[in-house]
Amino acid sequence: MKKWTVILCLLLVPALVSAGDRTLYVYNWTEYMPDEVLTAFEKKTGIKVVYSTYDSNESMYAKVKLTRGKGYDVVFPSTYFVHKMRKEGLLSPIDHARLANFKHLDPVLLDKPYDPGNTYSIPYAWGSTALAYNKDQVDPEKMTSWKDLWRPEFKNRLVMNDDVREVLGVGLIINGFSVNDTDPDHIRMAYESIRALMPNIRVFSGDSPKQPLLNLEAWAGMVWNGEAYMAAQDFPAIQYAYPEEGAIFWVDSMVIPKEARNKKEALAFIDFILEPENALLVCEYIGYAPANRTAVSMMPEELKNNPTIFPDPEDVKKGEFQTDVGDAILVYERYWERLKTGL
Amino acid sequence: MNEKQGFKFIAVFLNMTWFALFVLAPGLMVVGISFLTRDISTFFTWPLTLDHYRELVDPVYAKVLKNSLVYSFNTTLLCLGIGYPFAWFLSRAPGHRRPLLLMMVIIPFWTSSLIRTYALVILMKANGLINTVLLAAGIVSEPVSMLYTDFAVYVGLVYSLLPFMILPLYAVLEKLDIRLMEAARDLGANSLQVFVHVVLPLSLPGVMAGCIMVFLPAMGLFYIPDLLGGAKTMLVGNFIKNQFLTTGNWPFGSAASVFLLLLMVLMLAIYFFISSRFNRSQLS
Repeated sequence: MKKWTVILCLLLVPALVSAGDRTLYVYNWTEYMPDEVLTAFEKKTGIKVVYSTYDSNESMYAKVKLTRGKGYDVVFPSTYFVHKMRKEGLLSPIDHARLANFKHLDPVLLDKPYDPGNTYSIPYAWGSTALAYNKDQVDPEKMTSWKDLWRPEFKNRLVMNDDVREVLGVGLIINGFSVNDTDPDHIRMAYESIRALMPNIRVFSGDSPKQPLLNLEAWAGMVWNGEAYMAAQDFPAIQYAYPEEGAIFWVDSMVIPKEARNKKEALAFIDFILEPENALLVCEYIGYAPANRTAVSMMPEELKNNPTIFPDPEDVKKGEFQTDVGDAILVYERYWERLKTGL
Repeated sequence: MNEKQGFKFIAVFLNMTWFALFVLAPGLMVVGISFLTRDISTFFTWPLTLDHYRELVDPVYAKVLKNSLVYSFNTTLLCLGIGYPFAWFLSRAPGHRRPLLLMMVIIPFWTSSLIRTYALVILMKANGLINTVLLAAGIVSEPVSMLYTDFAVYVGLVYSLLPFMILPLYAVLEKLDIRLMEAARDLGANSLQVFVHVVLPLSLPGVMAGCIMVFLPAMGLFYIPDLLGGAKTMLVGNFIKNQFLTTGNWPFGSAASVFLLLLMVLMLAIYFFISSRFNRSQLS
């Protein structure tokens, strides 16, 4: 029995030792921050970073919600999850005056409907969902609208994101509605449009929509711009286009949960990430555009002028940012189930 | 308490605690939540209701269940068709070679099945290994469409689950008394008759066990149809996941889980009923 006691005590020791230090619990997407940035932060501030990752907004939300955010100090939700978590009182307001590097942020990405005035969220990286195609098979002149996906030549040749909001969002856009529409009649119309698109859809990709394009299984589809950029690095025939009706835009932001224990450390971390040098390191690693204007100005010309990563401000203006649709998500999901069961 | 009893007590106690904490308790929570009401801010709340079970009676969910059952049923049949002859030859192979052959059945388990599924993508894609060889050999002029079809889904499911069919079949076939077959032959039975009247009935427990061990996991392996079939059909696994994560409708997702659990319990009950009757008829 004595042996057991000794082992138990040994197991408890590390927990006691680290209790005295300053620690910060960061909860981020997988492969969304390089290690060197975390180490640099630890070295500069002496705050120990405990880093864990998630692979979908939904699983992050369920965890933060169940723990009321206790145990995490900085989290990186996307656009409409910021809106949802803000509405549900899960987030703690962020005092911009305490962020010396706030001035580096791109004003185009601030004060959006999902968080007016950015009271609760600080933009980290951003991107879009728009059209991608293989120009060996598809005429670039004819890829200008979401409606082009319905062309009969794409029979069984499209890749779509496996995401209920984005796919039905395209249906809403071509019917002239907002991607954030909550009217059940409008959602039904979107569903009917997408049902007509089903024969063209070869694959719903949940993990990496660039793969079916690289595999030559799909000729076109809806893809995130970062994926399209990476695909074009390997295979230059893959092109990215902003449709004339407007693309769907999203921003991943840094937030501090309401019950976070280390709010001071969290602010220090957010400010550190906003330093242009660090934002640049992050961008090089993740392949998405930083929300940091100064960091962008420090980039090499060819990257700065790449329209896949950095769209024309006109295209951004035409596009829409997703917001939370509340209980209308139940309507979306019902139609999603019907799409996928063919009823 | 002597040393041996102490060990037994600890082993049993640890196991029971483990199951109670991580299997029974979450299971009971799911059952409990299935009777509560959806709530946007707390996931579930009072009052108690049977609505979620009533909502399950719907053509959409019947179709979701049917899709899953069809995939599982066909996979089981395919595994049986491929696994039975394999297990037979394995059990008849010379004794010193069997461990090696068995190892080769088991070795793929050492790699994550997700990684093996991605490997199948690399084999079957339009510019993948199989198509490159076929095109180079001049057998086809255009890449054959394999990935994102039902064919690919069955390749993936059968590949992942085949060992679960082979191992129980091998266990019964190996113990099969060769003298019974010789006796049948001496009495004038041809090969087919020996198989139908002697080998098959004696291997039935293995067939049943193998079918159960393939059918039940096949119901839950929704990532294989997602990755290889292009996620165009919704299966029970996707459906339950979406209720929890996308819509935050925990009670409805729980009700669907409870229903699936009952379905599986029913199948296991039928299996135990048949096999106990089989054992009794063997004894008498």
